[in-house]
Formats: sequence, structure tokens, C-alpha cells
Amino acid sequence: MGAIVNRVRELRMSADMTQQALADAVGVSRQTVNAIETGRYSPSLEVALRIARAFDQPVEGVFWLARESGR
Amino acid sequence: MSDLSFQEKSAWGTLVALFVLGALYFSSVWNLWRADELHLPAVFGLGVGFTVLLVVVLIAYHAVVAVLSRPEDEDERDRLIGWRAGNAGGLVLGFLVVTIVLHIVVGGLVGRGFAHELAESPALISVSLIAALWLSTVVELALAVRYYRRGT
Repeated sequence: MGAIVNRVRELRMSADMTQQALADAVGVSRQTVNAIETGRYSPSLEVALRIARAFDQPVEGVFWLARESGR
Repeated sequence: MSDLSFQEKSAWGTLVALFVLGALYFSSVWNLWRADELHLPAVFGLGVGFTVLLVVVLIAYHAVVAVLSRPEDEDERDRLIGWRAGNAGGLVLGFLVVTIVLHIVVGGLVGRGFAHELAESPALISVSLIAALWLSTVVELALAVRYYRRGT
């Protein structure tokens, strides 16, 4: 099992969204979004799916295992 | 403080209030014990007084935090942190209660020393159990604060 990495911050910046706006869209606190972006917290599948939907992306386009990062 | 979620502010405030008021409570109990006046009515009175004070302080603190913060529900990370910290706090409480019970049993058999004094004094048993509950809660809140800072 490798650590989960993500490009939430990159997608959020591209969408010109604040952490608070994403947090409201997903149903978590702004601090949780910050913890996800900085890799300090790996969200549940449900929250990961909600984040992916907020960016209109497949979940594997937002989150993936670290060992797959060379893909 | 503005970078902290409501839940994290709550954990911090409760930890500080519990630590300060707990220190005052146990310092009062210690003084009573040294003066050989540690009896159940005194322990009960002190316990009720400090509990009421703690509740008032925590209500006031949470009211201020709620007014100053953006209202937010507990999310999955808050629940995970609460569960992990609560689990550790429960283990500490269980360990301390078993330790106290063993001291009482040993004290009843040996007939001297602190264990015997504990076995013979309902007030001391009460204070020990309150101390176990206090310490386990402090550990739980300290871990919650640490988990919040670390992410989980």
C-alpha cells in the first residue's frame, strides 16, 4: 500500500476556487481541504468522489497511489 | 486561531480549561490530604464546585468561539480524530482503573503503605478515580490536538 497523492490544489487553482468554496461543495471543513491538499490526510472514498465530481474529473484523475506517480 | 476549525478550537479550549481547573482541584485535594481533612463530603463538595466551574467556563468559551467562527458541522476527519483520540483515552482510563483496583486489593491484603491507606479511605478512592478520569480526558484531548496539527 503506497501513500495516496493528489492534485486537488492544482485543480482548485485552475478552477479559481477557494479552499472554503471547495469545502462547502464537498461538505467538509476548510481545514480538511487544506490537510488533503498538503497530503496530511487521505479522504474517504465518498469525499474523494465528491472532490472529483466538483472538478468534473474521474477520481483516478485526482487521487492515485504514490508508487504510480511516474505514470 | 483563525486557521483552526471549530472542533480543533473546542479541543484546545477544553484541554486548557481541564488542565488549569484540574490542577487547581488536585492542589486543593492535596492540601486537604496533608491537613488530614480529606473526607468524602469535602471531596464531593470540591468535585461539584469544580465541575460546575468547568461547565460554566466551557459554555462561555464555546459560545464565544461559535460567535467568532464560521458555523460548521463535524466532518469525517473530525470523527476519525475523535475516534482515535477517544480510543487512546479509553485505554488510559482502563489501565488506571485496573491499577487503582489492584492497589485497593493489595492494600487490603498487605495492611500498610499507600495501598493500604487507599483501601481504607473511600475519599482517596474517589479522588483516585477522578484523577484517572481527568488524566485520560487530558490525554484524549492532547492527542486530538496533536492529530489535528498532524492532519489525522
